[in-house]
Amino acid sequence: MKLVSRFFAPLWSGKTYRAAAYGLVLLALGSAAFALLIAGWTVALCFAITPLVVPLLIGLRVGVGGLATAEAATAQLIGVDVRPRISTPGTGFWSRGFATLKDGSFWRQQAHLLVGWPLALAPFCLISSAVELLTLPAWYRWDDSHDFLGFIEINSPREAVLGSLAGLLLLTLSAHLLGPWSRLAGWLARALLAGDGQLTMRSPAERRAIRVRALTIDALVSTIVVAALVVIWMLTGEGYFWPVWPMLALAFVVGIPGWVFLVLENPTVRRLALGSHALAIQVGVSAILSGFLVAVWAITTAGYFWPAWPILCLVVAVLVHAAVVRARREHRIEVLEASRAGAVSAQEAELRRIERDLHDGAQARLVALGMNLGMAEQKLKTDPEAVQALLAEARRGASEALLELRDLARGIHPPILTDRGLGPAVAALTERNPLPTSLRVDLPRRPPPAVETAAYFVVAEALANIAKHADASRIDIRIGTENGTLVAEVVDDGRGGASVAGSGLTGLRQRVEALDGRLRVTSPDGGPTNVRAELPCES
Amino acid sequence: MRVVIAEDLALLRDGLARLLRDNGFDVVDAVWDGDALVHAVIREKPDVAIVDIRLPPSFRDEGVRAALELRERVPETGILVVSQYVEQAYASELLADGRGGVGYLLKDRVMDVDDFVDAVRRVGEGGTALDPEVVAQLFTRRRRADSPLDRLTPRELEVLGLMAEGRSNAGIADALTLTVGAVEKHIANILTKLRLPPSGSDHRRVLAVLTYLQQDH
Repeated sequence: MKLVSRFFAPLWSGKTYRAAAYGLVLLALGSAAFALLIAGWTVALCFAITPLVVPLLIGLRVGVGGLATAEAATAQLIGVDVRPRISTPGTGFWSRGFATLKDGSFWRQQAHLLVGWPLALAPFCLISSAVELLTLPAWYRWDDSHDFLGFIEINSPREAVLGSLAGLLLLTLSAHLLGPWSRLAGWLARALLAGDGQLTMRSPAERRAIRVRALTIDALVSTIVVAALVVIWMLTGEGYFWPVWPMLALAFVVGIPGWVFLVLENPTVRRLALGSHALAIQVGVSAILSGFLVAVWAITTAGYFWPAWPILCLVVAVLVHAAVVRARREHRIEVLEASRAGAVSAQEAELRRIERDLHDGAQARLVALGMNLGMAEQKLKTDPEAVQALLAEARRGASEALLELRDLARGIHPPILTDRGLGPAVAALTERNPLPTSLRVDLPRRPPPAVETAAYFVVAEALANIAKHADASRIDIRIGTENGTLVAEVVDDGRGGASVAGSGLTGLRQRVEALDGRLRVTSPDGGPTNVRAELPCES
Repeated sequence: MRVVIAEDLALLRDGLARLLRDNGFDVVDAVWDGDALVHAVIREKPDVAIVDIRLPPSFRDEGVRAALELRERVPETGILVVSQYVEQAYASELLADGRGGVGYLLKDRVMDVDDFVDAVRRVGEGGTALDPEVVAQLFTRRRRADSPLDRLTPRELEVLGLMAEGRSNAGIADALTLTVGAVEKHIANILTKLRLPPSGSDHRRVLAVLTYLQQDH
């Protein structure tokens, strides 16, 4: 009896139905993804040698990211919690395009979209066959055809009932199989859909090694392909030298990443391009593209010089970009001047606050303490009882002065920050804070002291504001680095509606901007509030 | 009771030595940096070493490091760390080995001479002395979401706090003007509510409470 109930257990387990639902969603999204990928890549490849390819790629990236997010959201049905990346960050037109192509999560998401469909198809086939068998008596009774699943022939009600029993068996077996299936699907989702973590970490040396390796492989494969094609051309009678076309295409394909690599590694090239990576890459890519078009023109008719028009467009695009870069540089200098002035005045205000605190607090207490001691001295012989009271008061005063000085010192520069660095200092902050707080610190090495201090005070101020205004129930703090920039983020689930202008964050923003960083506060009404400081660590 | 002091400010070092001598301690050495402290303690094997956290050369957490080193090398010496500020993280490091004979106090506590002397003596005898501010930090940390601490009455919380500071039953009774019997009853209730085993010795019970307070939920 126990065995029987265990055999049928998966039929009324919620897990089974959740796994089946996930399978159905995979099937639907897989079909959509198939259409998107075929159409998207076809169009993108058609425009591969025009600048249009970049928006197409970014669009495809967003589409894939959206479908992957939908899959990840439904993967919660089988107990998998992953958050795929939706877009590839990048600054500048061309670098965004390349970043998309180099983005591992983009490719893994496509793989999952494609694999998910056949993966879901297997249990779907099993279950639908089982359901058809299970309902055989109904089909037999009300449908005239006596031929089911294409090959089983049903000639009597008895056979129909037997088929129905077989269907029940098959259904139960499929339900059993859904367990391992959902583990497999969960493993796939975790492997292919999980974002690389919001904060990815790779040292510049590692990144460089990866790029060198990719470029070497590209160049090697291209050379081998070209050599093979030339051999084929020689073996097949040496007619029209058609290998020139693939050679041209491969030179194009290797040339562009080669140029990107050169720019990333070469300060001279960047200096020539007003210090902008993106501009240098665009100039190089445009040059390679122009060369490609001229070569195509030369190999074909060499008649009317049609490449003049696309080249003209590329030149105009480069000039516009250069103008934008120059304008932005000038703007940055203005911002730097303004933020330096802001920092100076913020420091001035801070010093005034400290002076005032000392004057009204510890100094006043020490005066009172001295007074008490003086009075005690006076009364020492005449009134020992009063002396005792005065001394007790003096001691209390000294305690309070010390307490105030300690708080003041912590406000200027918390000792644990110097001693142990940002992670432990922020951990100490969260210990003092009564709300449930999660803290994730991922710093490979200690940032410069000024950066550490600014990040610390951003977190401290954010926590103080949350305690005062947010009415939150939990706080998430994340500290890490992204491309040489320290990112400190404090998120709460409170009521939102905060702004930089109206809070103690103004002084902090000046402090952050003085380090060439950025402080952003997003806080829609109803929350959540997100305070994010980005501080460059490398100058 | 024999004492070694490590403190870099001469004013405080001499003051502390005088205060301890006046109260019947034998101050065998007073040094001004972490290395000298380690040497002095290994040489003298005192009952207690009183250590300032900020010591030369780096003026960071030298004192904590020296204290941790001494905990390993001279386990029989009690260590009382004093500082201008307290961090719960340092307290956790000092308590990590689960042995007594350790204390961590704000320098301010020196002003209440009787209490301070009592704390030094406790640490020398293998007990603990934690600053009320550290205990308060431990409480905040524990009291976030539905913690068993919520089941304690206000009076029991007071008793738990004093217990975590390292005071004996008599000391707690004194501080709260209760009878020792009443304190014992409160403590029994607290241990039951926190599901901690009853334990004979004061010191061991205090360590159990501290371990409990330091655990994550």
